[in-house]
Amino acid sequence: MNPERWHRVEELYNAALELAVDERMRFLKDACRDDPALYHELESLLSYEERDEQFINRPAFEVVAELMADENAGPLEPDKRVGKTISHFRVLERLGQGGMGIVFRAEDIHLGRQVALKFLPEETTDSQALQRLQREARAASSLNHPNICAIHEIGEHEGEFFIAMELLEGQSLDRRIGGHPLPLEECLTIGIQVTEALQVAHQKGIIHRDIKPANIFVTSLGQAKILDFGLAKRTSAVTVGGEELEHGSGDRPSTSTMPGETVPLPIPDLLLSRTGVAMGTAGYMSPEQVRGEKLDARTDLFSFGLVLYEMATGHRAFEGDTGPELHSAILTQAPVPARQLNPKLPAKLGQIISKALEKNRDARYQTVSDMHTDLEILKHETERRNPLRRWMLAFALIFSLLIVSASLWFAKRQPSFTQTLPDIKFRQLTLNSPENPVRSGAISPDGKYLAYVDKLGMHIKDIQTGSIQDVVQPRDMNKESFDWEITSLAWFPDDARFLANAYPARGPFEEWFSRAADIWVFSRTDQAPRKLREHAIAWSVSPDGALIAFGTNSNRLGERETWLMDSEGKQARKLFETDENSFVGGFFWSPDGQRGLSIKTDASGDTVQSRDLHGGPPVTVLTPAERKQIQGEFTWLPDGRLIYQVHDSGSEPAVPSSSQDNCNFWTLRLDGHTGKPLEKPKRLTNWTGFCNSENANATADGKRLAFLRRAVAWTVYVADVEAGGTRMRNMRRLTLDESTDLPRDWTNDSKQVVFISDRTGQFAFYKQSLDEDVPGRISTGTGSFLATLGTAVSPDGKWLLSNSGDWPGDRKDPKLMRIPIAGGSPELLTTTVWGSAISCARSPSSLCVLGEKTEDRKRMIFTSIDVLKGRGPELARFDLDPGIEYLNFDISPDGTRLAVSGTPKGPIHILTLHDHSEQVIPAKFNNLVGDFHWAANGKGLYIPDQTKRGTELSYLDLRGNTHVLWVNPSRWAISARPSPDGRHLAIQSSSVPSNIWMMENF
Amino acid sequence: MEAPQSHQVTALLRAWSAGDAEALEKLTPLVYRELHRAARRYMVGERSGHTLQATALINEVYTRLLDVRNIDWQNRAHFLAVCAQLMRQILTDFARSRHYQKRGGGAHHLPLNEALVVSSQPDRNLVELDEALKRLALFDERRSRVVELRFFGGLDVNETAEVLKVSSQTVMRDWRLARIWLLRELSGDEQRES
Repeated sequence: MNPERWHRVEELYNAALELAVDERMRFLKDACRDDPALYHELESLLSYEERDEQFINRPAFEVVAELMADENAGPLEPDKRVGKTISHFRVLERLGQGGMGIVFRAEDIHLGRQVALKFLPEETTDSQALQRLQREARAASSLNHPNICAIHEIGEHEGEFFIAMELLEGQSLDRRIGGHPLPLEECLTIGIQVTEALQVAHQKGIIHRDIKPANIFVTSLGQAKILDFGLAKRTSAVTVGGEELEHGSGDRPSTSTMPGETVPLPIPDLLLSRTGVAMGTAGYMSPEQVRGEKLDARTDLFSFGLVLYEMATGHRAFEGDTGPELHSAILTQAPVPARQLNPKLPAKLGQIISKALEKNRDARYQTVSDMHTDLEILKHETERRNPLRRWMLAFALIFSLLIVSASLWFAKRQPSFTQTLPDIKFRQLTLNSPENPVRSGAISPDGKYLAYVDKLGMHIKDIQTGSIQDVVQPRDMNKESFDWEITSLAWFPDDARFLANAYPARGPFEEWFSRAADIWVFSRTDQAPRKLREHAIAWSVSPDGALIAFGTNSNRLGERETWLMDSEGKQARKLFETDENSFVGGFFWSPDGQRGLSIKTDASGDTVQSRDLHGGPPVTVLTPAERKQIQGEFTWLPDGRLIYQVHDSGSEPAVPSSSQDNCNFWTLRLDGHTGKPLEKPKRLTNWTGFCNSENANATADGKRLAFLRRAVAWTVYVADVEAGGTRMRNMRRLTLDESTDLPRDWTNDSKQVVFISDRTGQFAFYKQSLDEDVPGRISTGTGSFLATLGTAVSPDGKWLLSNSGDWPGDRKDPKLMRIPIAGGSPELLTTTVWGSAISCARSPSSLCVLGEKTEDRKRMIFTSIDVLKGRGPELARFDLDPGIEYLNFDISPDGTRLAVSGTPKGPIHILTLHDHSEQVIPAKFNNLVGDFHWAANGKGLYIPDQTKRGTELSYLDLRGNTHVLWVNPSRWAISARPSPDGRHLAIQSSSVPSNIWMMENF
Repeated sequence: MEAPQSHQVTALLRAWSAGDAEALEKLTPLVYRELHRAARRYMVGERSGHTLQATALINEVYTRLLDVRNIDWQNRAHFLAVCAQLMRQILTDFARSRHYQKRGGGAHHLPLNEALVVSSQPDRNLVELDEALKRLALFDERRSRVVELRFFGGLDVNETAEVLKVSSQTVMRDWRLARIWLLRELSGDEQRES
């Protein structure tokens, strides 16, 4: 459908709806006399008018909540087999169910191991399903390979047929992918494992025929397992009564190459073939499978090529409904090249995928071992290229510099902590860049070490020397498939060992629960890490190190039970549990180790309770109402005080303001024996602009508190310009704090950048010299920063022109104000309309231009503005598409030309003001995400455009040639404004640093 | 691992729209948590009650997600638009990960390796709806945004009009045709013009 045709459809459709029902068709027939296809389209659309009035008439959120309720309602139905002993298996719980059968977790009484027991659904008695189950069992049981789910036993109990299989913990590959590409290393590891397993199967004459992400399981240890050989067929002799069977979808049984492996099937295979091609899964079939041809092992290679494609790109190669559409795509279409969807992929992987996806199987990989070899080679190559080491080295080198800048940062930060208690000191312990945020961490009881996790792994920092040591990871664990978490009370009192929880990487929310998590103990000294317990998450180590509190047995909301065990992971006992509709979190020990605090969550909110270790009744410490504003975690200090952070919001005005979050530490003294509060909570600090912290823990002496702080920072950078504006170098921070700082213009002498900042809690204008660290303030609060989007310095350099107005108060009548650059009160220049913007030329021109949209939003009118007299004559008009809410313009430094774009994709028009001529720069953009600005010499523009790499800042000359100056990996909102002398750029950019800080003497 | 709390959300939303993928990871559990709450209420039998009216529910979600006093977005419209995008991404990802695109009203259990029940309620097919919406955007960007804001963002007609800076009548008109077009796309039983 092209937009023009759609527009026609829309017109006629709306016109038809105006008419009575019985007149519509006649009207349309008349209107579409010359275009039967158009008539058909409208007729078809109209036929849906009366159907399904509920369709999308309620929010998607509600739809999903309902689906979730339905899903959760299922497993509540009891199953008679749970709790029974079947053969020598004790059935423990139902794990899942589908068309193929029902699966339970069970315990093998003889061997003491847990297994998965698969039964046919109770209601199914048909022999086809039974046969499939048997086929699966037989085929797979002859395969013994670590990457194939092992079949332990096939049995029958009271007429029910079951298979005992290896019990797998982890997730299926399709959930693992979940629409996002997997990291390359994982993609290759899984690829290598699966092809290895397929080699074994193919050698035995077994082809899988239904390779797809849902049939590949990734265990918690990152090991791939092929499931469901239910469709597997032997390529060697499968004969019944001496007669070869030939089916539409089947492969022709060939002469047996390995007669010893032949297992005659008890029932003729005809039933299987009746289901025809549907026996594979539509989206992952090979072309020969779609065509119903004879299959050989190469069908698995095609299907696995599709899986590899999906792992590498996050997308299915052939999307669409099941059925003819998909089939024809598999037969005739080439998928979008994988590297187009994920440009980071090595070219070699793209080639491997393409070769596996050759539609003609003779052009494909001929054996799985060829593909396996190619994947192995690629893995070796990428490992050698891994730049990690070099990066770490560079990090160490700049480390000392960072310490200096961090202390400067702190010095400047201090004034905004109004009324800080006199001797509270802060120190930033980690200096990770925004690209590598710290995720969790804890300080050792003696305060000497910090164990923490970031994107690169787990580290221990010696706080005194600043040296960082990488923690050796468990062997045999794929680093990419795990996220580690170091909880706040993770350290043992020996200052050597600490606990960490391993969660499946990027797993869905439920898998953050203990169900899929394991507790490990690590050591700062050389000891290898050990797994202490599975299906559990560590909460804390007791002050004397004798006990570990952990959560386990999660329901669908969270952990239901809190347990204790000794430091070796033995003698586990349940401390308490909650009811089905609530869950608990954390165990924060009292200084004497006799009690602990935990947070119970139910429909009423979070209740903080303290408990002893002997099953005594819980004491409520904080009610849901009190807990509501508390952020992050609790620390019970040796002096009996509980310390936690409270988020202030109650005292703020109802009108949205630009102020930042305010978080402060509070304390509450508790009775160490009863756990009851002894007094009202007391506020410890009085800060503004310091929040988003979590994961707090104190040293054993209670004198130091470490916590994770995460903040969004918008920063003004400056850079030097070279080569006529086409190159940029020496980019550096101008603003050093972590508040929102957005550049707006330069002072006339090119020495100071004018920017807005919310460093005091409200947006205001500032100016700062390139060689200074601290800005001077130009004006008091200006409200919303949108109101300052078109801000410009007047050509004479004396004024700042800016829209004023706060949302929503001044939405109707924003005012264009002038503010003396030297400082002073804003004065009204003229009233304007919402969304207008101002741009000024440089001296000797005296022109400023106000751009305003007409009420019908179809046009932009540019008016000249005199900084002393206000509105002047209209300069130009520009037609807009009212459906596109976008406008970007800038006046050239000499005041002769306007650069304008009415869509984020460009093109940029150059309007010459004196003769109203118009030129179009022949360049297209993906998404112009920030302001563009003229270069100082008027020969080009600095433009920010979104690309796959992030946001690119480019210099665009008027002939349409671009020179990329800088790429920011973020998605939007960068812009660059040149200084009047053309030697510098002021650049706007954002980042989200996350680091661990320490507070002392509180 | 705890979901972020309401006062962190503003900052996370801002980070997300600034391209920080980790912010989405942090926001997702928060939306999930609200989904859990809502799902639980369905399960205890409130589903047919009047307490779960469409806009009331979504407003409650936003209120819970956000400390409204702390919004320093460019303006409310921008904020609502970002929320709708966020909801679209999270809910679609969620539906995809749960195979909701394959199943609809009927199936109640986690699929083992297959699930082929075709949805009886087309709007439960969030993944396909998202795809269809992308197709619509190719030739009618504004209509696709109307659906994104209303269906995924849960906004009412006036709020949608505010975000798109068009009249409420235009929203209604856009909505009507977009809805019908999508319904046809998802029903898949008609010949389509391409």
